[in-house]
Amino acid sequence: MSILIGPMKLHLNGHKELTNHSEVKNITAGKLVYIPLMACTDILVKSGDYVKAGNIVAKRNDYFVVPIFSSVSGIIKGIEEKEHSTGRMIEHLVIENDGEYKFEMPFQPLDAEKASREELVSFMMNAGIVGCGGAGFPSYVKYRDAKNVHTLLINAVECEPYITADYRIIDNQLDDLIYGVRAMLKMSGAPVALIAIKKTKKDLIDKVNKALAGEDKIKVKEVPDQYPMGWERTLIYEIFKKRYEKLPGEVGVLVNNATTAIAFAEALKTGKPIIEKICTFSGDGLQNPANVKVPVGVSVREIVEQLGGYKGEDVVVVGGGPMMGKAQTNDEVVITSSSNAITLLHPEPFDTIACLRCGRCNDHCPAGLLPVRIKNAEEAGDIKLLAKLRADQCIECGLCTYVCPSKIEVSEAVRRGKALLRASAQK
Amino acid sequence: MKFSTKVSPNIRDREHKTTEIMGELSVGLLFIFAFSMVFYYQEYGFEYVLHGAGLMAISIITALATETLYAAFMKKDIKYHIKNSFPLVTAIILTLTVQINTSYFAIAVATFFAIFFGKLVFGGFGHNIFNPAGVGRMIIFSTLTGSTAADVMTSATPITSMADAGWIIKDSAVIEKFLEQFGGLWNLFIGWYPGAIGETSTLLILIVCAYLGYRKVLDWKVPVVYIGSVFIFTTIIALTNGVGMWYPMFHILSGGLAFGAAFMATDPVTNPTTISGRIIFAIGLGALTVLIRLKSNLPGGVIYALLIMNMVSPLLDKLTDDWSIYAVKKHTMAIGSALVMGIVITFFAGNGLEAKAVVFPTEEGEAEDIPVTLGDPVKIFSDSTADLPEILEKTEEGSIVTYKLSVPGYAFVEHDGAPNMVLVKLNKETKTVESVLVTEATDTPSLGSNVAAKTFVEQFKGISFDDTEAAVDAVSGATVSSKAIAKAVRVAILDLNK
Repeated sequence: MSILIGPMKLHLNGHKELTNHSEVKNITAGKLVYIPLMACTDILVKSGDYVKAGNIVAKRNDYFVVPIFSSVSGIIKGIEEKEHSTGRMIEHLVIENDGEYKFEMPFQPLDAEKASREELVSFMMNAGIVGCGGAGFPSYVKYRDAKNVHTLLINAVECEPYITADYRIIDNQLDDLIYGVRAMLKMSGAPVALIAIKKTKKDLIDKVNKALAGEDKIKVKEVPDQYPMGWERTLIYEIFKKRYEKLPGEVGVLVNNATTAIAFAEALKTGKPIIEKICTFSGDGLQNPANVKVPVGVSVREIVEQLGGYKGEDVVVVGGGPMMGKAQTNDEVVITSSSNAITLLHPEPFDTIACLRCGRCNDHCPAGLLPVRIKNAEEAGDIKLLAKLRADQCIECGLCTYVCPSKIEVSEAVRRGKALLRASAQK
Repeated sequence: MKFSTKVSPNIRDREHKTTEIMGELSVGLLFIFAFSMVFYYQEYGFEYVLHGAGLMAISIITALATETLYAAFMKKDIKYHIKNSFPLVTAIILTLTVQINTSYFAIAVATFFAIFFGKLVFGGFGHNIFNPAGVGRMIIFSTLTGSTAADVMTSATPITSMADAGWIIKDSAVIEKFLEQFGGLWNLFIGWYPGAIGETSTLLILIVCAYLGYRKVLDWKVPVVYIGSVFIFTTIIALTNGVGMWYPMFHILSGGLAFGAAFMATDPVTNPTTISGRIIFAIGLGALTVLIRLKSNLPGGVIYALLIMNMVSPLLDKLTDDWSIYAVKKHTMAIGSALVMGIVITFFAGNGLEAKAVVFPTEEGEAEDIPVTLGDPVKIFSDSTADLPEILEKTEEGSIVTYKLSVPGYAFVEHDGAPNMVLVKLNKETKTVESVLVTEATDTPSLGSNVAAKTFVEQFKGISFDDTEAAVDAVSGATVSSKAIAKAVRVAILDLNK
């Protein structure tokens, strides 16, 4: 970090105390379960079919192989278009839950100690392990292409405010974490793995360190409590002081989320894919904030009902953490295999005033962009300038809007600039 | 159940709001104003404080009135408009940059220009090109310097005295005397001397600036680079002209540099939005300030430099329009070039500066330190009526009454020479002599002229009006002249007791 760029990150009030020490609550699925089907999927079942939990109901058919599993047992009712947590309308497979949760292993467990690297990669692919940090990128791709990796970086930073799901899962399933990381180490070919945890989570660091006693290849790496420390580029820069063009592999690092490692370990040990998620339900718009264990495809409405309802008459339902998560138009959105949180907030009206040109957004942009300049270029429709300012590099972390003292929607303007740039590139 | 939606992110930094930033800035500035008022109260009396407060009030009222009329005319919600236009900050900064003797008329006109032409015509807060307070100050500099309040006097400020001295003093004795007028460099730093209302105390400005920088109200890099570059440029000038380190220190401590650097150059609206841009902006300010001071002979170098650099801000923004993490090298080069350019420009500006004769103001001067021996006593309340001193001027400042007298001494009596000029200051509250100063000693050089010596005139200090037996020791070999001075004191006291 040079003094000419600014801090590129900021400490946020995490509100983690709302949920980090409470028990994980089990949520039961309701009558209907909606399995989200991303674009380019072949549906392998038809209306009226009976499926068990764990059965493959669809498969991605594009560049990546990702099977999609049923999370309950019951009858397929058809396909319905619904709002997804990304805010887009996508198709969901509707399953009528018979309430019996009959489970069938879609694949056989695998002993990671004995299996070869190739076996593990193809197991990961068939198990449908996706990144659990929120983006849902198929993890096996990273390992299939891994070359000259010097460090496997396990991301347990969890920098978004309110979210404590990773913290809870790691705390509950430390053995799985270590088992998963060992398997991933083998697949990546890296000599060492670092588990990045925020400095402020002292108790968790102690626990992990204790569990890692005698383990010379896996170490805990403490990182500052700042946002967006969990973003790959910020994390890698923090630890290795290196920047890269496109993928962390360029600087010899492979990054995976801690929860992904745990899901992988569960699949390896028990043959169970990601059909249940631990999600944080937190925020000031909820009576009883908590971490919940919920089958994929259950709607936010059902979960909130089981948690004791909303607080107040007006609530913002955010799919994910409050910084990057999108506000939903209603609470019918369902938990997906990559969900880790739903944040429920009281809407807080802000008085937007003229830009002070203070440059706080420029100093804090984790991607090193100049949000206020991109905003000006977008308003002027200056495509050339947008390209020069690298609007395409925005990750929509929301920090520019967060820090703005005039309460301007800077991120949204940059998002528009990004879209404008993309549209002009396609022309 | 209602579900609200808006674009992400869904939480905001509650600790940083533009309104609060402006509020904290105003409070910081008022501290500086308060310090200044304490100074004027202590050194000049209460009417100066009244005038200072009057200037502040008039400026604020004019600013609010201008904003209100504008909002009414543009059919905007007046309250909302004023709340988000921050006229107070402009009014306070403007008042702090003017001299205490500025007239109410001048400050009102300047405030109107600052708010209306400096800000509103550009589209209001956030869209103005120039620092509004800078615009107002420039109006006073260029058109209203003559508009001063009759009953408020000021003496020359350090920076105007330096301008009169040709921006360089090479004689070390003169340097010492020159700085001593203002209490030395240390006093310039503390700020206990008359100048623009808020610009004198570099120490206080730095404290307020550091706190506001810590609170992230302003960017500390701008004042640091600005003052730092002025230091570098003037150090080079000092080296080439063979003068000491007092020279760069004098540049930094006078002429409102610290105030301008801390509170005007940091105005985010009119400086670039990137860190690199702001650093180049500050270097440019430093170079222009030195250049304007030296070559245009204008004491207001800071204000004009600021207004010129304000125009360059959009260009600097354009220069630094990059993906900043991959442009560090380019930006470092740009900053380096700006610094080199600044050094070259100011080097040539400062090369071959000619020192002018320094004229020290007599009213504020001090008695000379001439070694003399004292002899026989001379009574003050004598009854001699021959060659009585003549009162030329009588002025009052608070409880101090100053008499300027023409005193016929040895030269005048013996061979029709010029009379001595003597300043007698009397305190009418305590009924004692405050000070005696011989401003022009015309009697025999090194003999009669020795009555100007500090050792002699200091004897008068504290003599009571009622002490009829009061006496001082005459300067050996200058009895006639000594008696003449004593007579001047008597004449002054008798006049006051009339």
